Amino acid sequence: MKAIILAAGKGTRVRPLTYTMPKPMIPIINKPVMEILVEHLARHGVREIMVNTSYLAPAIENYFRDGARFGVQMAYSFEGRWEDGRLIDEPVGSAGAIKKIQEHSGFFDETFFVLCGDALIDLNLTELLHVHRRKRALVTIALTEVPRSEVSSYGVVVTDDDGRILEFQEKPPVEEARSTTVNTGIYVFEPEVIDGIPSGVEYDIGGELFPALTATGAAMYGAKIPFQWLDIGKITDYYRVIQMALRGEVHGLAMPGTQVTEGVWMGLNVRADLNRCHIVPPIYIGGSATLEPGCTLIGPSFIGPGCVIESGAHIEKSIVFDYTRIGSAAHLCEMMVCGGYCVDASGTVIDLARTDIDWVIADARTPKKPLSEEQRQFLTMLEQWSGRIPAQL
Amino acid sequence: MELNVEQIGDVTVVVLPGESLDASNAAEFKQAIATVLEKHAKVVFDMSQLRFVDSSGLGAILSCLRQLNARGGDLKLCGMTKPVRALFELVRMHRIFDIYNTRDEAIGAFQLAA
Repeated sequence: MKAIILAAGKGTRVRPLTYTMPKPMIPIINKPVMEILVEHLARHGVREIMVNTSYLAPAIENYFRDGARFGVQMAYSFEGRWEDGRLIDEPVGSAGAIKKIQEHSGFFDETFFVLCGDALIDLNLTELLHVHRRKRALVTIALTEVPRSEVSSYGVVVTDDDGRILEFQEKPPVEEARSTTVNTGIYVFEPEVIDGIPSGVEYDIGGELFPALTATGAAMYGAKIPFQWLDIGKITDYYRVIQMALRGEVHGLAMPGTQVTEGVWMGLNVRADLNRCHIVPPIYIGGSATLEPGCTLIGPSFIGPGCVIESGAHIEKSIVFDYTRIGSAAHLCEMMVCGGYCVDASGTVIDLARTDIDWVIADARTPKKPLSEEQRQFLTMLEQWSGRIPAQL
Repeated sequence: MELNVEQIGDVTVVVLPGESLDASNAAEFKQAIATVLEKHAKVVFDMSQLRFVDSSGLGAILSCLRQLNARGGDLKLCGMTKPVRALFELVRMHRIFDIYNTRDEAIGAFQLAA
């Protein structure tokens, strides 16, 4: 069985995470979301996976390589060009990606799966394939229900009683939506579908190919198989998914590391005396991290590998990416700290470099700088006014 | 720096001007606010125009509180935008200041305390 994972998008709505990593590489407790997808495909008998890449392509290609360590074969269709010593992105759209691969080698010579590389799913793909074959469909789409208030974020699908698709509405206003059934971006395609994709132009599956197929009366079916669909469409979705993962609510995702006490997992080489820290599970602490005595971690929280959490720091329901130093003055509540940015659960972003608060949050690999006179005064005032004895001055 | 200062009863409301209070204008702000802090004891900073504050801006606001407290006065903040509020929480300044959603609530808090 074959599949394509769509992985070329820029992930603009998941910034600032996607400033430095492509969306499929966003980690779900240390594991890229696309790795979880590849493992899922392998469990359902898929052995040959094509991946279209463009934005930050090397991050994906260098991680998965030929797929051997995941028990599959993988190859990449890069959409762009190399110019003046750098890669230029030239994505061709989700349908255009399939056409490009087909024109290259005729890879899609049997029924195949199409998946977006940025959602966590536990869909029974084998059952989806059975539905597809039973209906003798050209295309089968995995559908799910969403609350009416959310339909404007999705591709709405209208079907008849037999599951045959009658109409698509791409992100319609709530009042115009003709159903609350939406496209999850998980498809089964017959190779003949590719004949309907124009050559050499940018072309989208949901917005262009499907409406065109519907207009020709093609056998397109929707399958409503209950499954967990965790779409990381927005930065706030990411926060919600990690909170769920730490609470053990993401199906099929096991916590990595060793459970050292109820609800506390650790990687290797962590320096921490848990009896001298205030810890409320669930907490994950990545390998080689340091927890100084006197810090507070309230779960669900994720501390990435190589982080340093200083004495006095308070971290609550937060996600701290790799190699971050959280200073003694820091109070993180429902926050994500990643790549020089702090993002709260509602999506508000603080640019740490511009804010000049490296005495609160910094890269743990940078030697700790002595405080400037102004910073020292500020911290002194902060400590006095908050009634705490200065710990680090 | 020109400050918009409004007297409501015995409470002085200062609208912090511009979208940023940072290293580029914190010293200027401290200079401009000094006379207000000398003359008045109950002060509200209306921060609804501010979109960005950096370390220097935080220090300037904190030093205003220190000056007022030293003379038995107090400072309350209102109208904080989300990015500024997030930064205040990150460095625990939300525990030091009385922060209100609206100007009326901040003024009302002074009156309640009286």
